[in-house]
Amino acid sequence: MAQEASAQLLDPAAIARAEALGILAREIVEGFMVGENKSPFHGFSIEFSQHREYSPGDDIRHLDWKVLGRTDRYYLKQYEQETNYVAHILLDGSESMKYGSGKLTKFQYAKVMAACLAYVVLLQRDAVSLNIFDTGTRTYIPRTGNRDMIFEIAARLAAFEPTGGTGISQVLHELAIQTRRRGIVILISDFFDDESKILEGIRHLRFSGHEVIVFQVLDPHELEFPFQGMVEFAGLEKTPKLLTRPSEIRKSYLAELENFLSALRLGCEKNHCHYTLVNTANSLHEVLSGYLAFRRRTSAR
Amino acid sequence: MSFLNPLLLAGVGAISVPVLIHLLNRSRVRRVAWAAMRFLHISVERNQRRMNVEDWLLLALRCLLLALLALALARPTFQNAAAVLRGRTAVTGVVILDNSYSMGMTDGVQSRFARAKKFSETIIDAMPGNSATAIWLASDVVRGLVLEPTRDLNLARKTLREATLSDRSTRLFPAVRDAVEALRRRGSSRKEIYLLTDGQAGGWEELSETIKLLNEVKRDIHLNLILISDREEHNLGVSDLRLGSSLTPVDQSLRFEVQVTNFGHDDARGVAVRLAVDNDPPSDQTVLDTIPAGTAKNISLFTKFRTEGYHAVTAEITSDRLAADDRRTLVVAATRRLRVLLVDGHPSREALENETFYLRNALLPVDSTAANDFYIEPVVVTPTELAGTRVDNFPVVVLANVSDFSQATATALDQYVRRGGGLVVFPGNLVNPRFYNEELANRYGLLPATLGPLIEAADDEHSFHLQAKAYDHPLVTLWNDPAAGTLSSARFLKAFRLQPIGRKEVRVVTRFADNAAAIVERTVGQGRVVMFASTANSAWNDLPLRPAFVPLLHRTLGALLEQRNKALNIAVGDRFTFRTSEDTLGKDALITHGEKLRQYRRIELVENQPVLQSEEIDLAGTYDVTIQTEPPVKLKFAAQADPRESRLDALTEGQLTQLGSIATIVHWQPELAWKQSGPANAGSWEIWRMLAWIALVVAVTETVLGQLFSEPK
Repeated sequence: MAQEASAQLLDPAAIARAEALGILAREIVEGFMVGENKSPFHGFSIEFSQHREYSPGDDIRHLDWKVLGRTDRYYLKQYEQETNYVAHILLDGSESMKYGSGKLTKFQYAKVMAACLAYVVLLQRDAVSLNIFDTGTRTYIPRTGNRDMIFEIAARLAAFEPTGGTGISQVLHELAIQTRRRGIVILISDFFDDESKILEGIRHLRFSGHEVIVFQVLDPHELEFPFQGMVEFAGLEKTPKLLTRPSEIRKSYLAELENFLSALRLGCEKNHCHYTLVNTANSLHEVLSGYLAFRRRTSAR
Repeated sequence: MSFLNPLLLAGVGAISVPVLIHLLNRSRVRRVAWAAMRFLHISVERNQRRMNVEDWLLLALRCLLLALLALALARPTFQNAAAVLRGRTAVTGVVILDNSYSMGMTDGVQSRFARAKKFSETIIDAMPGNSATAIWLASDVVRGLVLEPTRDLNLARKTLREATLSDRSTRLFPAVRDAVEALRRRGSSRKEIYLLTDGQAGGWEELSETIKLLNEVKRDIHLNLILISDREEHNLGVSDLRLGSSLTPVDQSLRFEVQVTNFGHDDARGVAVRLAVDNDPPSDQTVLDTIPAGTAKNISLFTKFRTEGYHAVTAEITSDRLAADDRRTLVVAATRRLRVLLVDGHPSREALENETFYLRNALLPVDSTAANDFYIEPVVVTPTELAGTRVDNFPVVVLANVSDFSQATATALDQYVRRGGGLVVFPGNLVNPRFYNEELANRYGLLPATLGPLIEAADDEHSFHLQAKAYDHPLVTLWNDPAAGTLSSARFLKAFRLQPIGRKEVRVVTRFADNAAAIVERTVGQGRVVMFASTANSAWNDLPLRPAFVPLLHRTLGALLEQRNKALNIAVGDRFTFRTSEDTLGKDALITHGEKLRQYRRIELVENQPVLQSEEIDLAGTYDVTIQTEPPVKLKFAAQADPRESRLDALTEGQLTQLGSIATIVHWQPELAWKQSGPANAGSWEIWRMLAWIALVVAVTETVLGQLFSEPK
């Protein structure tokens, strides 16, 4: 049901309305968190609280082995959440994010994604901040743990229109310098920028103790380049026009793109960041649930 | 270089088409706002140079392809020099063999036609590779054995070997005209007509038209006239054979008029002429002492038919080098007894008062003891009995003062005449002029004249007479000779004024002195009708009392029966058309001519009459016909060739000079090789085929490269 509702809400007009965007984020998040009692960001924002006796059906991951070894009794560890952990959501608002071959542009897709993540974070009583940038910060909401702020976040997201060029690394460096306390940086962008500079920014954030999660949002046409015939490509960020027969250079284009994506992915892996390539043709619900499941698996280890 | 289809050169302008398509496509460019320009720039920079080269290459190939196709369609040809370089030019030709019967003239070993066939093969053998030729036979008609030029020269040779002579005469202009038309439709740089004939002057009656036509097309089409003839001084032929007797009874001596013509340039002496019936030995023969050059002699030969039915009578002279005209055949229907049906319109107990009394006696001019053996048997019936009489059993029906009769009888008489029956009409005081005029004359088209007003002489002194001389109808020409008696002595007191119907088949036999028609005749279908203006008895005239009445009546019967025989004797080139009886409708008839012809024809309705019709007859002589009824009906017919074809006159030097101005004339000689005497490869080299192949290669290359270039890189 929640999936259906989110699908209905996923249209450009709904995303442009703050209220609708907020509801959409809630629908999506509640949809994939049904039956889940644990925080998807488990392991980052929790502190030990007390022991409780094991009863059949409990997750044995939480058994306290030391107590078992000493007393031969089964006790579980219980935790309580902290509320002062900050998730910094950085959303690329450059003009290249305006591209979309289907119903949604990359930016519209990314807006919904950002809203969903903000809602998830607020839901587990963490704090969240939002930064929409192009060559610099364009819209900023400082850290907040107030759940009601989700509507303010949604309003800002809905109101934003991409216009400028891209300067991701500068924003990352600024964030690394300005934020003393470690947190989670969620970076949502197409990353059409110098990948070495982007990776330097990420490295800076990591050095500052942040965990960095990278969502690279790309359109299916950018990934497949399926154009036929004579096509004139007009650059979205003030680059000169190009007239060509795309079918004849498809292999070359895809190879270039793959090189770029590989470099970015390898850079992220080197810096121990989670890298996720998001195809806007896929449903956001699947993308988020898939990522959060992956996160749960890796955190359990 | 020249072009066979120069107008199609305009197609070279089609090379602008790929450029135009390119320009049009530019206006249909799809525009896309794109984010990932960085990768696109790199890819385009890397591939642009290659893509430009590929584009220019494909454009060049497409333009070249269109230019080549336009050039190929325009059919460029290179004259002489190029032809010499490449070899000989392919020929598109029409070989025309004269197969008129004069080509049957032999030199004792081989006929002209056999020589022409052999030489035609030499011509085909000498044709360059890829040549095509049609094979036609020409006489007074053109027959295409291989109608359109074929590249299968073996078929052409085989067809030539199987070609046969006809007994037709020669008329070559239609063959040349048709060949020119056929070659005009063909696209070829070298178009040749090879006409092999014996050069008879008679075949070139339209020489000026032929020269004019060849002049009009001399740039494209060339005539090679190969004269297969040797100087022949002698030729005798049977140029005519006719039945001289008026009737053809069995066991009676019958006279046949035979005409023998000396077509040669020297007098002929001791010419034996024989007359034979069917395949029997000659029944009569004579020897003509001398026939001067260029003249004809007529002789009478006699024979008898032993049986009833159809007989082929053949007049023959000793064979010379042109055998086709040495015999001539005539088919005659013989009867044992000629039954004449006399319909008496006013039967009376007094013999003299009967309408048919004088007719009966004139037809049977013997005493009663000999009447049973006489070959004419008059049968008298009343008009009432006519309806129940089967008229087909009587070759001739005479109506004597019959007032009128039923519709059914009128229809039966009409059909009877159209099938070949003879009808004689004598009017009288009882006839119903309205019935005769409206029904028989106008509705059925049976009578040669309508009955006009009755002319009466006041008394004997004012009686009127028949014309006294200047008889031109064969039926009465006998009386041009005063020794034969006269017709003009007969006195007429009453007669209808006959008003002949204005049709070409209606002829006045004789007239009264005041020029009014007295006897009129016409042909109707295969039969004939003779109509008199006055009575058959002495009521209105005294002609029946005159000695001339008997021969007049007998000649009338002869004329009526001759019409029947006419249908059995046709000219070569005509169709044999014979009206048969009702019971043969839908039956097949087998027509044979010795071993040379065997064809089945179905008897079908033509104008409501069962008719047997053959194809056009090419061979002279006797044909046997068997209609497959129970029992089979057998008949014969004969075809006679045109005697003009027997003339030896060749084209004059002047005519040959005229023809030589627009044609190559070759006089055949033994061991003549075509390559030596033919035109010296005056053709040209045509390269459209080569261009078409190159265009194909370019098209394939363009397709392969286009496919290769458009693959993603």
